[in-house]
Amino acid sequence: MTSVLDRTTDFLEGASRNRREIVSPEGVPLPVELADYGERAGAFLLDLVFWLLATILIFAVLVLLLLKGIDIEVGASVATFIAFLVRNLYFIHFELSWQGATPGKRIMRLRAIDRRGGPLLPGAVIARNLTREIEAFLPLGLLLSLWLTPRGTPIWEEVSLGAWLLLFTCLPFFNRDRMRAGDLIAGTMVVALPRRTLLGDLAEATALHVFTEKQLKAYGAFELQILEELLRNGGTSGASQVRREVCEKIRRKIDWPAPVLEKDTDHFLAEFYTAERAYLEREQLFGKPRLDKHDQGGATR
Amino acid sequence: MASSGDARAPAAAAGTARATITLKSSEFRRGREQSWRDLEGLVARVEKRGVRSLSVEELQRLPLLYRATLSSLSVARGIALDRHLLLYLENLGLRAFLAVYGPRVGLWEGCSEFLRRGFPEAVRGARWHVLIAALAVAAGVAVGFALTMADEAWFSSLVPADLAGGRGPSSTRAELANDEIFAPWPGPTQAFAVLANFLFTHNTVVGILTFSLGIAAGVPTLLLLLYQGIMLGAFLALHYNRGLGVEFLGWIAIHGVTELSAIILCGTAGLVIADKVLFPGRYSRVESLAIHGRAAARIAIGAILLFFVAAILEGGFRQMVQSTGLRFAIGGVSFLVWLAYFLRAPKEEPP
Repeated sequence: MTSVLDRTTDFLEGASRNRREIVSPEGVPLPVELADYGERAGAFLLDLVFWLLATILIFAVLVLLLLKGIDIEVGASVATFIAFLVRNLYFIHFELSWQGATPGKRIMRLRAIDRRGGPLLPGAVIARNLTREIEAFLPLGLLLSLWLTPRGTPIWEEVSLGAWLLLFTCLPFFNRDRMRAGDLIAGTMVVALPRRTLLGDLAEATALHVFTEKQLKAYGAFELQILEELLRNGGTSGASQVRREVCEKIRRKIDWPAPVLEKDTDHFLAEFYTAERAYLEREQLFGKPRLDKHDQGGATR
Repeated sequence: MASSGDARAPAAAAGTARATITLKSSEFRRGREQSWRDLEGLVARVEKRGVRSLSVEELQRLPLLYRATLSSLSVARGIALDRHLLLYLENLGLRAFLAVYGPRVGLWEGCSEFLRRGFPEAVRGARWHVLIAALAVAAGVAVGFALTMADEAWFSSLVPADLAGGRGPSSTRAELANDEIFAPWPGPTQAFAVLANFLFTHNTVVGILTFSLGIAAGVPTLLLLLYQGIMLGAFLALHYNRGLGVEFLGWIAIHGVTELSAIILCGTAGLVIADKVLFPGRYSRVESLAIHGRAAARIAIGAILLFFVAAILEGGFRQMVQSTGLRFAIGGVSFLVWLAYFLRAPKEEPP
């Protein structure tokens, strides 16, 4: 019933352009959600900060221990070298040992995964991170050098090189799966991976209200899942107002004879949900899934 | 008629007595919930502290619980209409999938495996691309040599000023010999920290550009290879005209064997990418790139390691050896070492 699930999610959360599906090696389709540009930029900025801090730390230790009283030229080249080494080892090390997450990605809850649902291979991790060198660090270095160059010198070479490199940097904006050049080469994509916790089952074990089959036929799986969302969504006054209205609507639709008191609203809805779900699940098990209230049965999914 | 459950007490009438309802999906959930929670705990620990934080017993349970959860998901998709449960199982299944199929090697293991097998194997697999890249550099050397021999003014337009370092048509034999080829060793800090470093960073950037511009159908890759050759040819002609041809070759040989191999390998990697983009075979271009890009990246990474060795040789040690004969000997030995490495490294075992 994934189609109903997708439809409910579309209805509740709006557009579904971020959703993709991978098929695990066991053959089970698993939906994934592409990471937003903002989340990815945020993760990269965090990593940039960590990288700079690590570089400065290592450099400071080195200067204090080994190279006392060095001249600026030597210091600068040692620093560039450390920076180069640290940033490449940093990204590759963390994506290898944290299953496709760097510290920045972990904070933003992102993961790099294989695009076709296979295992994330070390070769892919190395490939996608080495490409960062031209996608991010070369343009960044260029920007820095443009900024440090005194005005009036001919900088057209740098500007044209920068524009050319920017094409690579902007690659994620020009493809459907938001892949950067490294993702393209390594066959990976970056997905958002929030953590869900298992909440209690809404179905009640016993019921006071009893509904007839005719009454339960009024709705389908789509409406059931919207009702579920409504019941799970907290005790704010707005939500309870909506629940009250929904309760009245259901009561009219199924011709429930007795009025439902305001204090009994949640109780009535929970029992209706249980009965409806039991009915729909049983029908589905017998090969007669009912997608929504317009579904007249017999139609295939 | 009470029809909403599979089993329901008949006494439910006006609302005084309570009816019992049994949902198949709720029973299903009760029976498996504990194993889901166990898996969630294991996955959370893997996410936090890596696969190594699990004990042997837990490592054995992880894939079992993962497969059980995936089958729960398949069943739940068939029988349950509880949206929250389905979303939870999809999320847990994906997280567990990433934990189970994540990379199993650490940085150092991965690196040593790469050096022993991955890199030489990838290079052997791309032998035709190596040949084309080498030919492009050779053609560049010929062109640069011929142009500069015909008119030395070409030298200044072919070689950028910061690489020429003051050398040019106006240089005399003595200047070239004493300031460059037989210049004294500048001492360890200058040699290793500044010179080797500059050379490595510069060469690596050129190498990475050569590799990754392969994505543009390989034209920039070939042009860059050609240009590296042209610069070398121009230098060669400049020295040859001043009777320093052999000395220059010796001076270059000590690190040039390694450095040229690295440039050619970067070009090879770029050409592999270009090949797979231009001729994707039965895959789409993006798929083809994803499948073969990793082999290309392996070659490029290995090439960067070669650049590192070359920079140490060039910046650090070259000026310590002042005899041309010895320089040729070192160059020759390094050539044999690399040849043996690429041809004799153990074959990659099938996974």
